Amino acid sequence: METLEILEKKEKISSTGNCIEIKDLRISFPAKSGKIFTAVKDINLNIKSGEIVSIIGHSGCGKSTIMNSISGLVKPSEGTVIVNGKPVKGPGPDRGIVFQNYSLLPWFSVYRNVYEAVDSVHQEYTKAEKHEWVEKNLEMVNLLQHKDKLPSQLSGGMKQRTAIARAFAINPSVLLLDEPFGALDALTKSALHVELLKIWNLNHRKQTIVMVTHDIEEAIFLSDRVVVMNDGPEATIREIVHIPIERPRNKKEIVHTKTYMDVHDKLLSLLVKNLSIEDAGVAYE
Amino acid sequence: MKKIFSLETLKNLGGFVVSMIILLIIWSLVSYITKNEIPGPKATWLVFKEMMADPFYDYGPNDKGIGVQLFSSIKRVLMGFLLGSIFAIPIGILMGSSKIAMKIINPIVQVLRPVSPLAWFPLGLLAFKAADGATVFIIAITSLWPTLINTAFGVSNIPNDHKNVGKAFGFSKWRYISRILIPFSLPHIITGLRLSIGIAWMVIVAGEMLSGGVGIGFFVWDSWNGLSLEKILSAILIIGFVGLILDKIFSGVHTFFEYEAKS
Repeated sequence: METLEILEKKEKISSTGNCIEIKDLRISFPAKSGKIFTAVKDINLNIKSGEIVSIIGHSGCGKSTIMNSISGLVKPSEGTVIVNGKPVKGPGPDRGIVFQNYSLLPWFSVYRNVYEAVDSVHQEYTKAEKHEWVEKNLEMVNLLQHKDKLPSQLSGGMKQRTAIARAFAINPSVLLLDEPFGALDALTKSALHVELLKIWNLNHRKQTIVMVTHDIEEAIFLSDRVVVMNDGPEATIREIVHIPIERPRNKKEIVHTKTYMDVHDKLLSLLVKNLSIEDAGVAYE
Repeated sequence: MKKIFSLETLKNLGGFVVSMIILLIIWSLVSYITKNEIPGPKATWLVFKEMMADPFYDYGPNDKGIGVQLFSSIKRVLMGFLLGSIFAIPIGILMGSSKIAMKIINPIVQVLRPVSPLAWFPLGLLAFKAADGATVFIIAITSLWPTLINTAFGVSNIPNDHKNVGKAFGFSKWRYISRILIPFSLPHIITGLRLSIGIAWMVIVAGEMLSGGVGIGFFVWDSWNGLSLEKILSAILIIGFVGLILDKIFSGVHTFFEYEAKS
């Protein structure tokens, strides 16, 4: 019950109803040659509260750069990023991040990795409350029995679950997932997709989730909208595709629906130019 | 659990024994060639036994047992080493975490690091007005460099992933230092401390030869004045073994703090 109260407190949506507003965003870095390298430009994207949005594109298209501008790890060169009505000035506990390579601290146990985040963000909790909250989050990702293990003793899927538990444990209104399932095998990946949606449901679908991926099936299954990027450098948004599939979604059932196939085809053709070797200019012998 | 008497430890032990035998053979040869001007292992052993019979006797300022000498040396080394490390670790952390600090401090380090301990001695005398303080001072100032450089190296190599964890979860400065910076750099810091204690132990002999009074270095010099080469050789062996033990202690600490680096 206590959890709910905290969630509600955090849930201050801006007047427009958007949780994240990205306006005319351009991000450039100084390149080694002394020139300026522009990763992304002209990015305009509004994300509603409680929406799940995937950003999809080829490697190097600036997906992660957009993500990092929301998390505050990268500063915009031009334009603004507004989260919960406030311009992003740096990383903050209103946004939970699940990093691409898990980024667990290798010298701490699973429990301690989550605890340190909770201890840092929820300083108003008592020690017992923190402990209880950490255990609850570990239970959510089924890791309670492995809580004393070090990250080096975990499988990839377990590491990712720890990272997810850590991100959820700080009660963020926005959850940022940077290719969270990229390094996992297909079976583990599927299980974690369901698990992620389960936690999102448990939190009454209030959290806004932004995810970077290059997996079309994953994007369709999880998202309300998919943002397809053009190739970089100077990448822009190619198209934003709505996923008109009702929740709760059943992975096995939806793949056979026409909507799914249409969306899948559309995303595929947006992302991949050459769909057969004939398209690549090679004729069958 | 590792077995204490595994094949591997047996092999290591065997290697050590063979190595010591070779050392004894070379020593005997040198002794033979110099017509016993440099005493051989046997003559040295007799004197060593005599020295060890009553290592803690104390017959006034210029006549003390080897144990007394050794312990006063170890005490000085530890004091100098601790003093040096107290400065080296925070300065190393500062250098490693700030590029500007690195640019400003590094030239000072590079200039002062190669200075011989003996060159510092007069300054130490001037500052502390006592030979004892001067010895501790030169140990501190010559042994702190490896710790400082290794700490700086460790801290400057903290992966961005770890730093981002601190940023993303709003770690305070102290939480970042205690939960990310120190744990990551600890293996590097301990490697630095291990090199530093080695240097400290090397410097003590030179320091005590200059300072006189009591200590293993003074003992070597005093034995030279008394023309007892057997005592000098015994002292050399003792110095060597104590150095080995100090090194083993730190390598043990290092293994203890080493975490599985792959996350």
